Amino acid sequence: MTLNTRKRINAETEPVVGSGRPGRDPFFLRSARRLLREPLVHFLVLGAALFAGYDYLYSGDRDESPHQIALTLDELRQLGLLFNAQWRRQPTPEEFSQLVEFKIRQEVLYREALAMGLDKNDEIVKRRMAQKMQFLAEDVAAAREPTTEELKTWYEKNSDKFSLPSRVSFRHLYFSPDRRGARARDDAAQALAELAGQPEESTPTESLADRFMFQDYYADRTSESLAKDFGPEFAVAAPKLPLGSWQGPLESGYGWHLVYVDSLTPGRVPAFEEIEPDVKTAWLGAQKEAAWAKAYREMRAKYTVLLPAPPNSDTVSVASDTDTLTQGSGAPL
Amino acid sequence: MSAVYQRLFARTAALAILGAAVAVTADPNPERNVYFGEQHIHTSWSVDAWLFGNHLTGPNDALQYAQGQAIKHPLGYQIQIEQPLDWMGVTDHSEYVGVTKEANTPGSALSKMPEAQPLILKDPNDPADVQKVFNYLVSLVSKPPIKAFMSPQVAGSIWQQNVEIADQNNKPGKFTAFCAYEFTSQYNFRNLHRNIYFRDCAKVPEMPYSALDSWHPEDLWKWMDTQRQAGNELLAISHNANLSDGWMYPIDVDSLGRPIDAAWAESRMRNERLIEMKQIKGQSETHPLLSPSDEFANYEIVSFLIGLPEESGRIPHIVGSYARQALKDGLTMQDTRGYNPYKFGVVGGSDSHNTGAPYRQNNFYGGHGINDGTIETRMSGYLFTGMDVRYESPAGLSAIWAEENTRASLWDAMHRKETYATSGTRIKLRFFGGWGYEEGLLKGRDWVLEAYRGGVPMGGDLPPAKAKAPTFVVWAVKDPTAGNLDRIQIVKGWSKDGQSFEEVYDVAWSGDRRPDKWSGKVPPVQSTVDLEKATYTNKVGATELKTVWTDPDFDPGLHAFYYARVLEIPTPRWSTIQAKQLNMAPPDVVPATQQERAWSSPIWFTPTDAARKGAKPGLTVADLNAKGAKMLSDAELQALIVGKSIWVVNNVTGEPIKIRYDDKGSAVVLHVGRGATLPSKVGEVVRASYQVSASPYRIKNGKIITELSGTPISMAVYKSGDKYYGARSNEFGHANYEILKKGPANLVELNKGEYKEKDQASYLRVTE
Repeated sequence: MTLNTRKRINAETEPVVGSGRPGRDPFFLRSARRLLREPLVHFLVLGAALFAGYDYLYSGDRDESPHQIALTLDELRQLGLLFNAQWRRQPTPEEFSQLVEFKIRQEVLYREALAMGLDKNDEIVKRRMAQKMQFLAEDVAAAREPTTEELKTWYEKNSDKFSLPSRVSFRHLYFSPDRRGARARDDAAQALAELAGQPEESTPTESLADRFMFQDYYADRTSESLAKDFGPEFAVAAPKLPLGSWQGPLESGYGWHLVYVDSLTPGRVPAFEEIEPDVKTAWLGAQKEAAWAKAYREMRAKYTVLLPAPPNSDTVSVASDTDTLTQGSGAPL
Repeated sequence: MSAVYQRLFARTAALAILGAAVAVTADPNPERNVYFGEQHIHTSWSVDAWLFGNHLTGPNDALQYAQGQAIKHPLGYQIQIEQPLDWMGVTDHSEYVGVTKEANTPGSALSKMPEAQPLILKDPNDPADVQKVFNYLVSLVSKPPIKAFMSPQVAGSIWQQNVEIADQNNKPGKFTAFCAYEFTSQYNFRNLHRNIYFRDCAKVPEMPYSALDSWHPEDLWKWMDTQRQAGNELLAISHNANLSDGWMYPIDVDSLGRPIDAAWAESRMRNERLIEMKQIKGQSETHPLLSPSDEFANYEIVSFLIGLPEESGRIPHIVGSYARQALKDGLTMQDTRGYNPYKFGVVGGSDSHNTGAPYRQNNFYGGHGINDGTIETRMSGYLFTGMDVRYESPAGLSAIWAEENTRASLWDAMHRKETYATSGTRIKLRFFGGWGYEEGLLKGRDWVLEAYRGGVPMGGDLPPAKAKAPTFVVWAVKDPTAGNLDRIQIVKGWSKDGQSFEEVYDVAWSGDRRPDKWSGKVPPVQSTVDLEKATYTNKVGATELKTVWTDPDFDPGLHAFYYARVLEIPTPRWSTIQAKQLNMAPPDVVPATQQERAWSSPIWFTPTDAARKGAKPGLTVADLNAKGAKMLSDAELQALIVGKSIWVVNNVTGEPIKIRYDDKGSAVVLHVGRGATLPSKVGEVVRASYQVSASPYRIKNGKIITELSGTPISMAVYKSGDKYYGARSNEFGHANYEILKKGPANLVELNKGEYKEKDQASYLRVTE
């Protein structure tokens, strides 16, 4: 590949389409004519002209010599598509010839590097390839569509993963430490005693308690959502209170509360039909995990690992898949 | 406490895998809810995370961690979030080969290729067949890839996988998983990183634009513009300005060396809507050298250059590396040049490389795998790429005020900057600015609606002035599982004649503390920390703080911004807690206690043209040149100052100072008081003045040059008639200083009328 080729890309010469194997593939000529009408084709064809004489029509096995770089029409089109994906427009002729030149440059350097053995013991190369192994193993697992029956069986074994939490609805009165200081708890207890003497239907006056910064009534809350609003202790305690009467004082992250629970909906496991798509997602995750674990186990079994021996002892061999730790290294990006 | 968490999380973990079908959906809330999330996290898919030992957990694990499920730290032990999050964006990126699925999809282009035939499973349920296909794949990756698999249609990418995982975890109304990635530009060890957030995962590009394409943020913005024009909305969030060596917030030239102009500023603001205020590797709000009068600025400072070779002598620059100064410079740029590239909102993040992140002092497990993953590594002062890991702190959090927990609603709120950052706890913070908020507004039941109606929320612009001064509604509630609140502050920045200023007002505080009569500063809250036990109590502080505040120093002719900062009471830092566990003294290189905090996005004020023109314009270098003034040469400068003392009056503030320049290259600034109104980038002159500590100066190219931690700040002197004027290099072409050879005899003018002439003896021997 010389600099001349670049001139040839840029030169507005008559395309020499198909000159590599003239007349051998009429289908190609037909598609070439069709391609001539496509916007990208101008560049593609000119680029292709570069490789006239090369066996670029074959997408099958290529017998490249170490000093021959053959690009196919597909590869050239791909350059254009990638550019288009990044910039949302077609490349100009200059840009396109640059793209080709970059690709050639990468290929040249890649091959020279391989020839020099630079891929050996390169941490990045190793890491990428190790990562690809996992993806490939997982891909194999993901390639299969499960049957509904299969999903159902799996769901029955794993139904605890899909259980819905219980929900509680309550109103509350708040006793603020900002206003009452250390008296907040006692004030709440006293208010509870006052409320006990009153008919259930009566609404306690606001003067009894303090204004709460959020809501006075909470409907159908899970413990998780209560933990966000009040802190974990309150979230655990509130659903356990007896229904239909004022209870407390109960402490939250904000102070003291009297709580009147209206209703409690117990948790349940939804039927398979309600959540089939979720079951499928979870099933897929489990398949991937299992496939990778199994694949790795099998590969690992083929190796014996030798670690340096502690002082005054012989070499140890580690048969299990212990992840040995090295010194800290690298930089965060 | 931990048992309670365990029980709660048992339920959470079970919930986490449930999808949209059973997600809780609530109606959009016009008053908006706050949604806490993780904006910045890495998994084993990030190359550096892998290097740190994170080999096993990917984006799905990160999203599961965010929803409450326990995962494995790279070192093998279990980690679990303190409280599930509302949203997350996993910010990895890389490429991917995933052809098996395509090959097994009947009719796909790839399935017809001869190379793909060995990939097609004859019987998916036959383990022998699966193994055979896998072995073939293994043989493929061990040699140069088959190029036929590499067209974008068939290759897929790690990116597409990432998007798929986000989609699986996204449960509108319950949990939002964003499509995001990190643009990792690290030019010459300077951190110019940006996280890119897409509004809609259905429209993400085939490939993310990476720093391999170009390390220049300008090129990233150009690419973002093309995405946006094609209907793919996205925004960028810069992070670790503190590690950018002064390159995150330039004021004169961009990263390509071109002068910054209006087009640059517009391009930046179109794309970079937010910045990350705090993460594991420090905060980027401000530095004591830039905010010497802010007594809370000395907080989680981390200043180093990531990856810098051990033997290098480079020192990172502080100027250009902090957000508050950028906000101030932005105002001055707007005022003097007509554009503001630094009108950003704020969020937080972790930048953890462990797939999960710690947000609390009592749960700190570092963020970099083997480098800070054991208590021994953390407490032994391990130098991780030059940083003492004891300087790390728990992850920051992002809080978003949005109508509902969906990608669109959250993204739109990020775009309009209705966001705030916390140091890791879940302080709730609302902040509104307007012109007519009543003092009693907060007493009303529907004050939030009133506040929206009467003004703008955090991230907004005040409408044109309708009153003498703007009023602000600020409200904060503590995290129910963390420390009580100490105070709310409003940080104001403003600009005049090329200078910028800042002031921190205490506006609401706990207990019966009284602000200082003259400075208005509220005394520190009592610390309840027991350093030996590494505990604190909530016996001091407030659960809720709120007020309606009017700017007492408002000038309708000046550009200004306001943001709220909330402080919790002092609590033990993680390093103190872990020192106690190892029965050793708290590390002496970091504070033993700290105050968790929240920072709101700013609200900006822009004066009307009439108001701006109404103000008397300051003197500029251009004015001086037009008047025929002459810039002093090195020799003339030497004659004027070397071995002498001069008085310099800042004509913007009217305050005089005295500077002595000795003949050995040292200078000292004198007579600067604590109450002085200091322009930007003068350093800790109050302390230096009181202690008479000198610093070096030199004269070169017609300028007197001093340095602010390695950043040269120079002054040119002009002679106009018999007067000398000084122009500082960071004051945007203004000549704000007048040089007097003789100064005042008294520095304070007493108002005689207020003092009764009395016998001097009667002022003495005072008893209470």
